[in-house]
Amino acid sequence: MIEMTKKEIRIAEADSDFRRKVLETPGAENLMLCYQCGTCTADCPVAMRIEEFRPRQIARLVAYGQKERLLEGDTLWLCTGCYTCYERCPEQVKVSEIISALRKIALKEGVLHPTFRAIMKSIAEMGYIYEIDDFQNEMREDEDLPPAPEPDVDEIEAIMRKTGFLDLVEGS
Amino acid sequence: MRYAFFVGCTALARLWGYETSTRKTAEKLGVELVDMPGSSCCGTTYLETLDEVTALAMAARNICIAEKMGLDIVTICNGCTEALTKANRTLKENPELRKEINEVLAEVGREFKGTVEVKHFVRMLKEDIGLDKIKATVDHPLEGLKVGAHYGCHMLKPSDVMLFDDPEAPTTLDELIDATGAESIAYPNRLECCTGPIMGVREDVTWSVGLEKVETVKKYADIMVTACPFCYLTYERCQLVSDHSPGVPVVHYPQLLGLALGLDYEELGLPSNKIDASCVLDYLEG
Repeated sequence: MIEMTKKEIRIAEADSDFRRKVLETPGAENLMLCYQCGTCTADCPVAMRIEEFRPRQIARLVAYGQKERLLEGDTLWLCTGCYTCYERCPEQVKVSEIISALRKIALKEGVLHPTFRAIMKSIAEMGYIYEIDDFQNEMREDEDLPPAPEPDVDEIEAIMRKTGFLDLVEGS
Repeated sequence: MRYAFFVGCTALARLWGYETSTRKTAEKLGVELVDMPGSSCCGTTYLETLDEVTALAMAARNICIAEKMGLDIVTICNGCTEALTKANRTLKENPELRKEINEVLAEVGREFKGTVEVKHFVRMLKEDIGLDKIKATVDHPLEGLKVGAHYGCHMLKPSDVMLFDDPEAPTTLDELIDATGAESIAYPNRLECCTGPIMGVREDVTWSVGLEKVETVKKYADIMVTACPFCYLTYERCQLVSDHSPGVPVVHYPQLLGLALGLDYEELGLPSNKIDASCVLDYLEG
């Protein structure tokens, strides 16, 4: 019973401000052209394997302003960004871009998947997504490779602070 | 020919065979790859989805380094290729965003000028060196070796940003494989994403997607060839963690090309590929 209730779209709970925010995000402007053909879901490599991940449903739920349902769980973080739906949508709705818009809104609300948070913190602190230290550079030398470029981490942090991004990541 | 060489985190930190084989094959073909001092992570396709301005600024910062060098950029990771190409194109074409990003970059004393291009190594080989020259340089053709090519998504998509090959029916990597004397074999679902980007969210899905593809490749070909460190890691690691590994060797394209150009198995870093790829040596001629 609970499952059934959860699957209803409750128009009364629609958050029209939320839909507006998605539509205002660059790349997500075509959302309302979606006629639910399902090409996105049919061709999605993740939807083929994970029942809960349905790009067509994501487009519909945004149109109905179902913010809470979209921001909970792992849904938003399961898109690989392969752009298959982007390329094949007959209305150029580009669900991958809708999902990107949702991630941006989620971050502003303090919601960020822990894996994404860890990657972003690594970039801010080390300039790379992985630590590249003396060990890596010794291994590189064994393969006839020069030391890895040393990123100016102060510059990177300054950029991420200036845009406000690092504060959002830290506040998530 | 000289290019600024943007290696990207994954190859720098753990796939030395990919980087070393790229450098050595480039040298054989008369291409100089120059290191980019102070370069960092491209920003990643993850960051693009979280904050457009920060992603563009992070990519643009790296592009600024190449602009100072006066050199176009060559990349070897599909993710970096997409992030840098998207920023380069967007900032060249959109004056308002360019102004906004340059205000951010001014904070660190940099400015995006829009004077260089970004190309994946594979694209550079095809467009700037050409298949004819590569074929003419190959002196150890890999006759009879059957190869399952995996392009990876971001070499081709989004197609209105990458403007390279056909995202639904690409041929470049196949042509480059054929140029080594080996044969690129068509196999079902070959353009499907490796799903590596969700490895940290649903590892089980990534491994099963990876295994499905390598098992398909095994039916048609001797080895799999990739052109992206993320895809490579997915197809290698899904086999390493499996109890029923199909044992399909995964090889970086420059390693294959390097063998055909007469470079050694060892100097191309092939012994560090974790699934034994020595079967390729059986096909070497000359």
